[in-house]
Amino acid sequence: MTGLARPNGQAIFALVLLVLNTVYASQIFKLGVPFDNGVEPGASFLPIVLCAVLYLAAGRIVIGELRAGRSAEAPSAHAKSDHVPAIGITGPLVIAILTMGFAAGLERVGYILAAGAYTFAVALYFNYEESGRPLRTILVAAITAALITGFGWLFFVKLFDLYLPTWSY
Amino acid sequence: MLDLLGGFSTLFTLWPFLYLIGGFMLGLFFGAIPGLTATLAIALLLPFTFGMEVTNALVMVMGIYMAGIYAGSITGITLNIPGAPSGAITSIDGHALMKKGEGAQALSLDAFASSVGGMIGALILMLLAQPIGALALYFRTPEKFSLVLLAVVTVTIVSRGSLWKAIIAMTLGLMISTVGIDPMVPKGRFDFGSYHLIEGIGLLPAVIGLFAICELLVQATIPARNAMGVAVADMPRLRHRDFIPDFRIVREIGAWLYIKSSIIGVLIGMLPGGGASMASFIAYAEAKRTAKKPEEFGQGSHEGLAASESANNAMCGGAIIPLLTLGIPGDAVTAIIFGVFLIHGLVPGPGLLTQHTATIAPMFAALFVASAFVMISVIAFGPFYLRQARINRGVLYGFIGLISMAGVYASSFSGFQMWMALAIGIFAFALRRFGYPAVPMLMGVILGPYLEKFLRGSMIVSQGDPLIFVTSPFSLMFLVMTAVFIWLLRLRPGVRP
Repeated sequence: MTGLARPNGQAIFALVLLVLNTVYASQIFKLGVPFDNGVEPGASFLPIVLCAVLYLAAGRIVIGELRAGRSAEAPSAHAKSDHVPAIGITGPLVIAILTMGFAAGLERVGYILAAGAYTFAVALYFNYEESGRPLRTILVAAITAALITGFGWLFFVKLFDLYLPTWSY
Repeated sequence: MLDLLGGFSTLFTLWPFLYLIGGFMLGLFFGAIPGLTATLAIALLLPFTFGMEVTNALVMVMGIYMAGIYAGSITGITLNIPGAPSGAITSIDGHALMKKGEGAQALSLDAFASSVGGMIGALILMLLAQPIGALALYFRTPEKFSLVLLAVVTVTIVSRGSLWKAIIAMTLGLMISTVGIDPMVPKGRFDFGSYHLIEGIGLLPAVIGLFAICELLVQATIPARNAMGVAVADMPRLRHRDFIPDFRIVREIGAWLYIKSSIIGVLIGMLPGGGASMASFIAYAEAKRTAKKPEEFGQGSHEGLAASESANNAMCGGAIIPLLTLGIPGDAVTAIIFGVFLIHGLVPGPGLLTQHTATIAPMFAALFVASAFVMISVIAFGPFYLRQARINRGVLYGFIGLISMAGVYASSFSGFQMWMALAIGIFAFALRRFGYPAVPMLMGVILGPYLEKFLRGSMIVSQGDPLIFVTSPFSLMFLVMTAVFIWLLRLRPGVRP
């Protein structure tokens, strides 16, 4: 053992979990004492146990990583894409932002526009990553968007009688 | 048993049968594409079940389950890329046979073994479900707590990789389950002043986030050329008749191997956290131990292929038993099936079978009939299986993204739940990136309310005396089983730390 090394990705993520655990723990005080009538577990009993377990387990990972002396991350296991730079970060970031856009737009612009734009953009990303040809990709993505949006509407609204918002203005 | 056999007559009416076929096709499709699983298919189906009759929903889920577990081995055999973890062991000998030019026979023997295993699993389910359900009626709150604790502990310790990470994943799931109204007193917990959070975090956003959104994000990190494997042009051209099994080989394998492996599959399926991968691995190891030519295992052994595939499909029947009779889901798929029941106002557990026989019986029949479909499907679609891995990824993931998000909205009428699914998906992606398993987290979300309710209920009955958990024979038995599993799976010398 050579002492503690600089925190790596694993240790930092475990620290993030510890912070989230502390945010969770901050609410426990509102729930009263862990044992009602001195003996029966109350509303705060299980949360206290869970917090303690998470502090222990995440703390164990942080200390283990620091003691292991892995100051740098292992080389990334992600393969490189021919057309999307740093796909390991760019890919999920693009998809997460697109999905947030869909969630934000669904009630405002209605299903057809939100779903059409979302599926077009997702198909555009995956097809461009595969072929790298913008024109062909746009065409394929447009067809994909029309088909999937129509399919979703038919299934949710027509077949299963569920509600999806339409244009609200 | 006779009541349950009545399910066949309901199943063979128009709509349930069409739903079974639809579910089966969906399961085949998802199971055979690397990265997609039966779990994801059932998760995507969950929002649609709001608009279905409960029997149709359950029948469809059984079709997906059986086909999805089977289809995990298809690309395992053809491309050496298992479509699902359950196909990993089958691909060892299956792909070796493929390389020897016996790919079609490997696929047909694989389907035959899946059919046999699935049918045996379904029959054992029909035989055991009612007796175990009747026994479970005697379980009181302490027994139920010990049983849920057994499931929580076992699911955690059987997870691959770091035990600490599995513990964290389970704890996070249990924490999510504590958000909302307290199960014993009408008091909000962890709502952070938001009226949305007082309702708690629903099962649907948790399932969609953990399995669909997370998978979408993971796939966005994988270049297309890595996701698709070998080009279709490199595959031999096969005809439908090539996929009829050679019964000379089936006789050589022997009926006992199919039966033994299927029983192993059912038993593993009944254990919380067991799952298809473990079933196929243990049956494979047992077949190798008793084989006349163990040296052929790994080099294209028909026995190895048959053992692993019989076991993982028989597991389906086994996994349903504790779900229906005890209310304990053992893996991710049965956890989502648990959600299907809850959506329709049915609570899995003691009493479900006796009170809702007519609703549940077609589900058992569907599992049996779906097993027969497996054999038919390989003859009908065998030549097309090879092309599944070439499906356009833009279409596939555009579809998954839209159905997931719109599905949560349509079934909950809540934009908040949609955001919650996305948040859980992004969080699950980060967890997966750092090697934390998703299944214990989902199990924590599902089992958390029961764990807490039964614990506090028992302690109220005993006036705070924890000895209540060891004075009941069944409760003590479950606690001893928990300790034994911890010893066998984690502490015993020679077991990975």
